[in-house]
Amino acid sequence: MDHEYDVVLVGSGIAGAVIAKTLTQAGKRVLLLEAGLAAGMALSPEPSYANYQRYLETFYSKANKATNGPYPDLPDAQSPDVLQIEAKTPYDEGYLVQNGPLPFASDCLRSPGGTTLHWLGNVPRMLPNDFQMKTLYGQGVDWPISYDDLKPWYEMAEYEIGVSGDVAAQVGPDMDRSNYGDDYVFPMKEIPQSYQDQVWMKNTENLSVSLYGKDYNVTCVSMPQGRNSIPNPAYRKTGIFWNDETKRLELAGDEPGKYEVVGAIWDQNTGNRCEGNASCVPICPVQAKYNALKTLKKSDHSKLDIATQAVVSKLLVNDTTGKLDGIEYKVYANPASPIYTTKVAKGKIYVLAAGALENAKILLSSNAANSSDQVGRNLMDHLVMLMWGLFPEKVYPYRGPGCTTYLPTFRDGEFRKDFAAWISPLDNWGWSWPTFAPGSDVSNGLAAGKFGKALRDSLADTVTRQALLHFECEQAPDPNNRITVSPQYTDLLGNYRPVIQYDASDYMRKSFEAAKKVGDQIFAANGIEDFTDYNPSDADYVTWKNRGYTFWGAGHIVGTHRMGSSPADSVVKPTQQTWDHDNLYLVGCGNMPTLGTSNPTLTMTALTFMAAEAILKQLEA
Amino acid sequence: MSQHYQAPAPRRRQQLFRPDEPLHGCGLITSLDSLRSHLQTAIEIEHSTIPTYLTTLYTINPITNAFAYQTIQSVVMEEMLHMTLAANIMNAIGGHPAVNTNDFIPEYPTYLPHSDDAFLVPLQKFCKDTVDVFLKIEKPAHKFVPPEFNNYKTIGQFYKAVKYGLRYWDHVTPGGIFTGDKSLQVTCEQYYGGGGKLTAVYSLSDAVLAINEIVGQGEGMDGTIEDPDQVFFGEDVEYAHYYKFNEIRHERRYRPEDTANCPPTGRRVHVDWDAAINMHPNPKMKDYPVGSPLYNKTLDFNQSYMRLLTCIHDAFNGQPDLLMKAVPLMYDLKYKALDLLNLPLGNGEMAGPSFEYVAI
Amino acid sequence: MTTSRNYTDLFLPISAWLTGFDTTELQATGMTATYYATITTKNTASCIDDFFAQAELVLQEGGGDEDKTNSLIASQLFPTSCYNNLAQNIITMWYTGEWAPDVNAAPSLAEAHNISPNAYVQGLMWTAASTHPPGAKQPGYGSWADPPIGPPVDAPLTSISNAR
Repeated sequence: MDHEYDVVLVGSGIAGAVIAKTLTQAGKRVLLLEAGLAAGMALSPEPSYANYQRYLETFYSKANKATNGPYPDLPDAQSPDVLQIEAKTPYDEGYLVQNGPLPFASDCLRSPGGTTLHWLGNVPRMLPNDFQMKTLYGQGVDWPISYDDLKPWYEMAEYEIGVSGDVAAQVGPDMDRSNYGDDYVFPMKEIPQSYQDQVWMKNTENLSVSLYGKDYNVTCVSMPQGRNSIPNPAYRKTGIFWNDETKRLELAGDEPGKYEVVGAIWDQNTGNRCEGNASCVPICPVQAKYNALKTLKKSDHSKLDIATQAVVSKLLVNDTTGKLDGIEYKVYANPASPIYTTKVAKGKIYVLAAGALENAKILLSSNAANSSDQVGRNLMDHLVMLMWGLFPEKVYPYRGPGCTTYLPTFRDGEFRKDFAAWISPLDNWGWSWPTFAPGSDVSNGLAAGKFGKALRDSLADTVTRQALLHFECEQAPDPNNRITVSPQYTDLLGNYRPVIQYDASDYMRKSFEAAKKVGDQIFAANGIEDFTDYNPSDADYVTWKNRGYTFWGAGHIVGTHRMGSSPADSVVKPTQQTWDHDNLYLVGCGNMPTLGTSNPTLTMTALTFMAAEAILKQLEA
Repeated sequence: MSQHYQAPAPRRRQQLFRPDEPLHGCGLITSLDSLRSHLQTAIEIEHSTIPTYLTTLYTINPITNAFAYQTIQSVVMEEMLHMTLAANIMNAIGGHPAVNTNDFIPEYPTYLPHSDDAFLVPLQKFCKDTVDVFLKIEKPAHKFVPPEFNNYKTIGQFYKAVKYGLRYWDHVTPGGIFTGDKSLQVTCEQYYGGGGKLTAVYSLSDAVLAINEIVGQGEGMDGTIEDPDQVFFGEDVEYAHYYKFNEIRHERRYRPEDTANCPPTGRRVHVDWDAAINMHPNPKMKDYPVGSPLYNKTLDFNQSYMRLLTCIHDAFNGQPDLLMKAVPLMYDLKYKALDLLNLPLGNGEMAGPSFEYVAI
Repeated sequence: MTTSRNYTDLFLPISAWLTGFDTTELQATGMTATYYATITTKNTASCIDDFFAQAELVLQEGGGDEDKTNSLIASQLFPTSCYNNLAQNIITMWYTGEWAPDVNAAPSLAEAHNISPNAYVQGLMWTAASTHPPGAKQPGYGSWADPPIGPPVDAPLTSISNAR
C-alpha cells in the first residue's frame, strides 16, 4: 500500500464502520486497518455464514458463557476476558495489567465488527442534564456540546443502528416527548415487553419508594433496542447522505413506510425480527441484533481497502509540523506467532476507532495528542450492582432479549450532587449473570441430595421464578482511574498492554447503598424473596458504612480521551479532531466527558456521525 | 495480508412467465362461487407441499448439508408466502379461506389437490428420490399448455386458469369482484422472513401481481427462454423453485450462461445424500399402540400442528395480527418434529412427523 | 481395557430415574449414544461394570416402585463417594451438556467445554425450566411476551394490564 488514502482508519467496530461507510459513500478513499482475523471480515453470503456458524459452534461448546467466548482469542491482538477478573490486584495474568486497587471489570472485543458482536443492544439516549454535570450538580465536567446539539445526530444513529422502540413511552426524570420532538418515531416498533416485565410492572408502576427522607415515584419504561422488530409505518427517513452543496451530512427522506429492515450479513431475509434466542450477549445467531458489519457492508467498497490482521503499533508524529506522517502497523499471518511484518499507512487524515482502551494505548505508545496529560485518564464504566431473588409466582425468565423494560426513576435528580445516578434495567435472564444459573441450580440441587423428579421439580419451581434487577451506576470521571503503558508489559507482537489503575470513589459507593435501599423496597412490593449475596471474595467487592456491596462491569468502557472546550483539560475538540494534531481524529466512547446513565453506544454513534461530517468538511476545504 | 472485499449487489428475483395471453378460455369458470372454491384449492395446493418440504428439511443437518438445507428452507418460506397471498386474494373477493378443517390436510402420500394424479407426494427423508418428487411438484409449464382448473399437469396451468377467472369475473361483474373487507388482508407488517414481499390485495392488478409472485417464483416458469439477453441465473438471482431443487439434484450451481432447459453447469456444491436421518416414510399415528410413548409424542406433534393451523385460520379470517403468534407455534412444531426424528423404531428407522388432523 | 459388556440397555432407564425425564424424553435429545460413550471414556471399565451391576440390582429390587427405587438410588448410587461420583456426573451431563470437571484438576472457567456443541443445545435444565438454551431452539418473535407454549401454565397471571 504505497499510495496515499484520504483517510486511514483504525478499527472496524461501530465507530469505524460509521466512518468507513459515510466517507466512502461520499467518495473518499479509505484504508481500514483491523487487528482481528480476515475470516471475521467476510461480508459475502457463504464465507460470512460459515464464519458466523463457527462463532456459534464455539459459543455452544464453551461451558461458561462469557461475553467474548464465541470469538477467536488472538495472542497477537488480545482482548480482555471477564472470566479472568479476580479479587486481587495487582495482577497481569490476562491482557489487562490490573494495578487496582480494584480490578477493572469490563471487556471489549478486538475483531471485525468490534464489541457490537457481543453487545446487548440497549440504546436509550442520554438526558439533557447529563451534559451539564458540573454546572447542575458540581460533579465531573460539563460537555462542550449540549443535548440539543447532539439531537440530530442521535436521529442518524437511530437510523443506522435500526432502533426499535416506543418514543411516547420514554418518560421519566428529565425525559419526555420534548427530548425527541413532536412527531419523532423510531424506525421500528417497540420490542414486546417480556411476560416477566408485566409482572414487575403490575407491582412496580407508580410505586412510591423512600430514600434519605425523600419519596420517589417508580415507573417502568420499554427499552429502545438495536434489534429488529416491525418497521414503523410512520417512520420517514430513508438514508444518510453527504450533501456536497451544503457540506452537511443529512438524514434524508421524507416518505413514510419505506424503512427496510437490515437482515443478517449473509442473508437479507434472516433476522428480520428478533427471534427470542435470549443470547444477545454474547451472540445473536440470526443477526436480528445490530452489529457493525451491517454498516461496514453498506460502504462503497470500490473506495474502501481493508487490511485485516493489521495491528497498529505507533502513530508517526512529525515534530516539526505537528501532524501525523503515517501509521505504523504490524501484520501477522498466524495469530499465535510472534512473527510479523511492519508496514506504514499514509493518508491525508487519520482516524482512531479502536475503542477506548486501544485508542488511549496507541496514543500513549506514540506520545501523541497528550499535551493535556488527559490521555488514558478518566476511565469510566457503569458500575453494575445486581440484586437477585425469587418471585412468588412463575415469571418464566431466560426468554427474549436481555432487557425489554427499565426503571428511569433514578437517572436524574438533585441527589446527583451527593451520589451517582443509575438506570435500572429489568433483566430477562434470571440469575445467569451473578450465579451462572441455571447450571448452578443443578449443582446446588445435587449438593442438596436431589435427583430424579425431585431435581426436575425443584428446577421447574425455582428457575422459573428467578428475578434480577440491575442498578447501573454512572461512574464520575476521575483522573486517577486511568490506563498507562509500560515497557515492562508488552504482548506477543511487542505492542503495549493496557496497565490499569482503578477504584470506586465514595460518590459511587454511596450510590450502592442508595440503590440497595430502593431495591429492597421494590423487591418487597413484588413479594420477591431476596437471595442477593455480596461476598468479600467477589472481584469487585467494596464497603461503605460497614456494609459490603459487589459491582460488576457493564462493558461500557468510556472516557480515556475526552472531548472538551479547552486544550488544557481535554484531548479532542467537539469536532473530535485532536487539539494537538489537525490531521488526527479520535472516535468512540473515549471521547465522552461523562457517562450519564445510558448505554453509551448510541451516544457514541451519534458523536461519530458528527465526526464524519467534520472530517468530510476538512477534506473538502 | 491485505484483503479486499466487494459488497454483493442486491439479489434480483427470477420472475419468468410468458406474457399474458388475451382474455379467453374463461368458459372454464361457471360462477364467482366456483372461482372462490378454486382459490380455496390454491390455498390447499400451497399448503400441501409444506409438510413434505418441512419433513425432508428436518431430516438433514443445517451445517453439514447447508446448501440443501438453506435451499429447501427458502422454498418453504415461499410456499408459506404463496399460501398467504392466495388467502389475501380469497378475502379480496369476499371468500372465506378455510385452513383448519379435517379435510384440509391431505393424507400423505398424497396427490396434489385437483391435479392429474400423475405422482404421489410423500413425507420422507432427504434423498435423491425425494428431490426428484420436488422437481415434479415444481415442474415448469410447457409452452402452450392451456389454463386448467382440474386435472392440471402443472401448478402453473392451474394459476393461469385462476388469473383468467379473476380477470373475467371482475370484468363482467358490475362494480367488480374486489369488494372484500380490506381489514382482512394480511400485510407485510405481519409477514416477514423471506419468500418475497407480501402484498395486500385490494384490486385485480394487486391479485395479478400476487399470482405472478407465486408463479414467477415457483411452479409456472416456462421451459424455454424467449429473451436471449435476459440473465436467468447467477449469484444475484433468486431462482424459481424448480431450478433451486435442480441445483441440489445435480450438486452444481447455475451459471449466468446456463439455459433453463439444461442442467446447471456452474461450480459444484456439497450435498451429503447419505447424511439424512433415516426416517420411516409417511409415518402415521396408527402405526403405534394407543398410549405408547411414540403414539403420545406423535399426537402431541399433531396437536401442535392443529394449533398452528387454527392460528393461521383465525389470522386469515379477521385477525391478521395473529399471524405473529403463529411464528412461535411454527418453531414449537419444528422442535417437536426434531424430537420425533431422534426416536428409534427398532428396525433401523426413526419416527417422524405425521402431519395428521386431530381434534383439539 | 473395555467393560465386560455394553450397558446401553441399562443406561437409559437408570438415566431416567436419575434425571426425572422419561426414556422417551431422553432419547428425543438424540444424545444417548454420545453420553454413553462419554461415561465409558471418562471412567475406568471396572467402575462402569460396578456401577451398572449395582444399577441393575437397584432397578430389579425397586421393581418400578417410585419411593423404593428412589430410596435405593439415594443410598447405593447417588452419594459422591460411590463409583467415582458417576451417578451425579450422569445427571449433570444430561442437564447441562458438560462432563463435570474433576474438582482436583478443573480447567479454568474459560477453558471448560461442553461434551459437544449439541450437548449444550440438548441440555435438559432448560426444558425443566420451561425455556430453551440461550442461542438455540429460538421460540420466535414476541414469544417472550406470553408464558411459554407447552406444559400447562400452573400459575397463570390474571388480569395483566399495562399500568402505564
